[in-house]
Formats: sequence, structure tokens, C-alpha cells
Amino acid sequence: MQSKLFLLFKSPHEFTGLDLIEKMSGGSKRGVILFEDAAYYAIDPNKGKKLLEAGKEVFVMKDDLAARGFAGKAMAGFKEIDYHEAVDLIMERFDQTITL
Amino acid sequence: MKTMTIQLRTGTMMNMDCNVAIKLTDAALDKGYDVRIFGYGEGVWLIKAGQEPKRFPNVGEEAKKLVETGKVEVTVCNTCTTARGFRRGEEIQGMKIGSLTNDLSRFVAESDRMVTIAR
Repeated sequence: MQSKLFLLFKSPHEFTGLDLIEKMSGGSKRGVILFEDAAYYAIDPNKGKKLLEAGKEVFVMKDDLAARGFAGKAMAGFKEIDYHEAVDLIMERFDQTITL
Repeated sequence: MKTMTIQLRTGTMMNMDCNVAIKLTDAALDKGYDVRIFGYGEGVWLIKAGQEPKRFPNVGEEAKKLVETGKVEVTVCNTCTTARGFRRGEEIQGMKIGSLTNDLSRFVAESDRMVTIAR
């Protein structure tokens, strides 16, 4: 089964489809990258915890956290990455990307 | 060499989606990948010549620099440009008003990964 990397762009208050991550993964390896307002998951204890349960490996763009005043403030379990690391995840570590 | 295709469906002045596409492309080039960008819907505005944003990054200029490397191809949907009154000849030099059926299908066929940036 192909591994899947989910890309989220919307804030936790705008996007309510976290269950799709588990349903679309079907038990395969999965990960999530948080871009733009989705970075707020990384500082929201309730919604962040739900995302970590659904996404397993969750990465957040450093630039987007910093732009929102939360540089280095991602909660435990969220890995802060740069664009080069995002490209590695997309091109080498996962088979497929899905934008939600 | 592996190729990444980015399908961009958001306009230049709506949020930072176009900027994310540019930064991903830039990082992919640094790592030796080729990149194709296909603009669909509002994403066609990426290649409009003469953009002069006061506060947002000038993504048109940034995309032009990436295309000039010879490792990036940028094409947008002609049905989408026509619907918005964006005419042929108004695109940034080096980028193309093309089609979903000819260009996006070729990009997908030739790519190893596809990333959709959309709302």
C-alpha cells in the first residue's frame, strides 16, 4: 500500500476533516505537513493532539510558525521543518501527496 | 532526474499559496529536481505580466527567475484565462497559456510526484 503525505493549509478552525486522514490512509504509512494557517495546529493543545493521533508523523513549516509569532513554539510531537526538508518528504519519503 | 509537478489553484493576492509554490520549487531545484507548475482556476494569475504588489511578494517575478534556470516549466489553463479576460500576450515571457488536456496531462505523465496547492 502506498504511503501518503497529507498537506494541510487551512487553520484548525476552518478545516474539520481530520478523520479523512485515517480513512484515506487505510492503515498505510502516513504523515502530514502543515503550511500557512494550518501551522496553528502545532500550538493548539486540543486540535493538535487530535492531529497527532490521526497523522502519526506531523511536520510544520518553520517559516509559517515564525510568521505567526510562534517560532520554536511547536508542541512536543510536531517537527519543525524547512522547505528543503519538505521536498525530501514529498519526493523521497512518501509515495503520494494529498491536499486536504 | 525526478520531477515534481505542482498544481496551483489559488490566486496571487489571496493568501501565501503562490509563495509556497515558489519556495517549494526553489528548494526542489536546489536539491536537483525538475519542477512543472500548472495554474488552474485562480492559479492562472501567477503568470500575468506587470504584477506590482505593494505588500505581497512579487511571485510573477520570482517564478520568472525560476523558469530562467531551464529546469522549471510554468503553464496555465487557457479556459481559465479566457474566462477571466486574461488574454494571450499578457503572460510573463517564458511561461505559457496552455491546456489541461495537453499540458497538465503531460506534466502528470512525466512527473514522479504531484503536489496540489488549493483551497
